[in-house]
Amino acid sequence: MAAASLRTNKLRSALTILGVVIGVATVMAVASIVQGIRSQIFNAIEVAGPQVFYVIRFFSSVPLNPDRLPYEVRIRPIVSPEDAVAVRRVPQVSYAALWAQVNVRLEYEGERTQMMIVYAADDRFMEIVGGTLLSGRLFTRGEQAAGDRVIVLESDVARHLFGRVDPIGEVVRANGKAFRVIGVYQQPENIFQPPGQAMAGAIPYPAARENLHYDETNALFIAVKARTGVPVPEARDAVTVALRRVRNLRPGTPNTFDLMTQDQILDVVGKFTTYFFVAMVALSSVALLVGGIGVMAIMMVSVTDRTREIGLRKALGATRREVLWQFLVEAATLTLAGGLLGIVLGLLAGEAVKAVFGFHSAVPLWSAVLATVVSIGIGLIFGLVPANRAARMDPVEALRHE
Amino acid sequence: MSDGIIRIRDLARRYVMGQETVQALRGVSLEIRRNEYVAIMGPSGSGKSTMMNVLGCLDTPTSGEYWLNGHEVSRLSDDALARVRNKEIGFVFQTFNLLPRASALSNVELPLVYAGMRTRERRERAAAALERVGLANRMDHRPNELSGGQRQRVAIARALVNQPSILLADEPTGNLDSVTSEEIMRTFAELHGQGQTVVMVTHEPDIAAHAARVVVLRDGRVESDRSTERAAA
Ligand SMILES: Nc1ncnc2c1ncn2[C@@H]1O[C@H](COP(=O)(O)OP(=O)(O)OP(=O)(O)O)[C@@H](O)[C@H]1O
Ligand SMILES: [Mg+2]
Repeated sequence: MAAASLRTNKLRSALTILGVVIGVATVMAVASIVQGIRSQIFNAIEVAGPQVFYVIRFFSSVPLNPDRLPYEVRIRPIVSPEDAVAVRRVPQVSYAALWAQVNVRLEYEGERTQMMIVYAADDRFMEIVGGTLLSGRLFTRGEQAAGDRVIVLESDVARHLFGRVDPIGEVVRANGKAFRVIGVYQQPENIFQPPGQAMAGAIPYPAARENLHYDETNALFIAVKARTGVPVPEARDAVTVALRRVRNLRPGTPNTFDLMTQDQILDVVGKFTTYFFVAMVALSSVALLVGGIGVMAIMMVSVTDRTREIGLRKALGATRREVLWQFLVEAATLTLAGGLLGIVLGLLAGEAVKAVFGFHSAVPLWSAVLATVVSIGIGLIFGLVPANRAARMDPVEALRHE
Repeated sequence: MSDGIIRIRDLARRYVMGQETVQALRGVSLEIRRNEYVAIMGPSGSGKSTMMNVLGCLDTPTSGEYWLNGHEVSRLSDDALARVRNKEIGFVFQTFNLLPRASALSNVELPLVYAGMRTRERRERAAAALERVGLANRMDHRPNELSGGQRQRVAIARALVNQPSILLADEPTGNLDSVTSEEIMRTFAELHGQGQTVVMVTHEPDIAAHAARVVVLRDGRVESDRSTERAAA
């Protein structure tokens, strides 16, 4: 019965539920994207292995401006090769080395990349970040020690710069400095990268230090890998003790470095995506509100149009509550239809966005359930005023209505 | 006394419209027994519809008593009245009041929906009611696919489907031509013959002549109340 009376006012109904459609679609798209981002990060960590963590100067969820470092950052020393050596001596640690994350633009015969990240690392870097060597080789200890300007390119970047040309042996320019390509590797699948932060490759740390500029606060870190079988918290504690000793920190004084474990990264990503999600929900609730008011308006019109029907139903024995429910169900049917449409559109939009940024994920079921519940709820809430008006009608007057 | 289905005493209904007060009923006393067939007549504005609304528990009197089937119903709450309407009253309106987008069967089912009956039983009962008024072959038709007389018979089936104590009809033939009106009157006569109590408002003496008793209202009072020759016959 509810559906029948809605069908007759198709166009009017369609326009009214637009707000609901937009609101729900937004929530769905965002939920899908957020879920995508989270699962990509999670995958990336799976690939790198939970045994890996980092020592940094200061843990901050956003990059620090090197020219205006806050006091609590300035009092801390920059992470140093000596720190790395001290960490490497910890028995629970199988690998520790000073790395840098350098922003570069690569260039080959006029072809240029956007700003990307190059890891300044050592010969074992693939063991830490994962991936497969497709051709050529990694740099050797000899090249490292000599400060040779060699680079192992990420395969997508290699394809972009070289096309069909075999890059091995060619020279690319990183921020103008010449680097010889010695290998091409493919980074592990499913690594999520924010746009503009894509990985371009790896170079030996000494070559980066001699040739490229980077800000030491944001770029420098010690990559640490706990020995297999050692719980990360135990390794972390041991590393903390070792670093405090090498930096001569007295008991009771705070650490002058931060450890960043995968859990913390997940945490930051989680918080960040949650804020994003909450902001989008706030925005979409405006659309939902507009939709709700539209539903209220159309239901008001419907109640007036059907005054005689309401009178008749009451004459035949409908109680107030039954009339109230009839119109609430109609309003909820309307918004549910909008909600389902919104879910479909939102999923499509989410898939489109994920396709553009090259990742995929299952859409969380809860978001579809939530969207359905919310759209029904909006119908019930905004249908209440018109439904109540119908329920309170006097049957005699309603039947006499023209 | 026990078969007095309707008993009203000193029934008054006043409408207050700003400064003015309209006395639609000014103390009506009346008793209608089981299986009576009563026509209510009277000039326009004499209070016929007002009385039908009170009898049908759609409206409550300003003062006076109304006993329906031995229960005082003039002071009941809205929802209690809705239940009484559903169980005890069958309405037939001048303008049919069918749901335009619902089939004849669905229209007839409506009171049973509010009675809380299961779908299957509802269907069966509604179909039986339509058969009773001779519309067994029109169940799936919508009102706009039916003639005026057929529509009114659907409305009668709807009024009967809950086996009400009384069938109330306010000018049931008011929108019908004389041939169709006669058809409807035959249906009423049949129902009355089967034991149905019928109260009907009409302007037309030849329609009223079908009833066994005619009550004439004037200015909200009973002017006359007598049996027709038919009842004598
Ligand atoms: N809701 C109302 N508000 C004010 N006055 C009303 C209302 N309903 C009826 N009346 C008045 O009460 C009186 C009786 O009305 P009622 O409808 O009962 O007359 P009726 O006998 O059915 O007339 P008709 O033959 O024209 O249908 C009339 O004077 C009418 O104007
Ligand atoms: Mg009238």
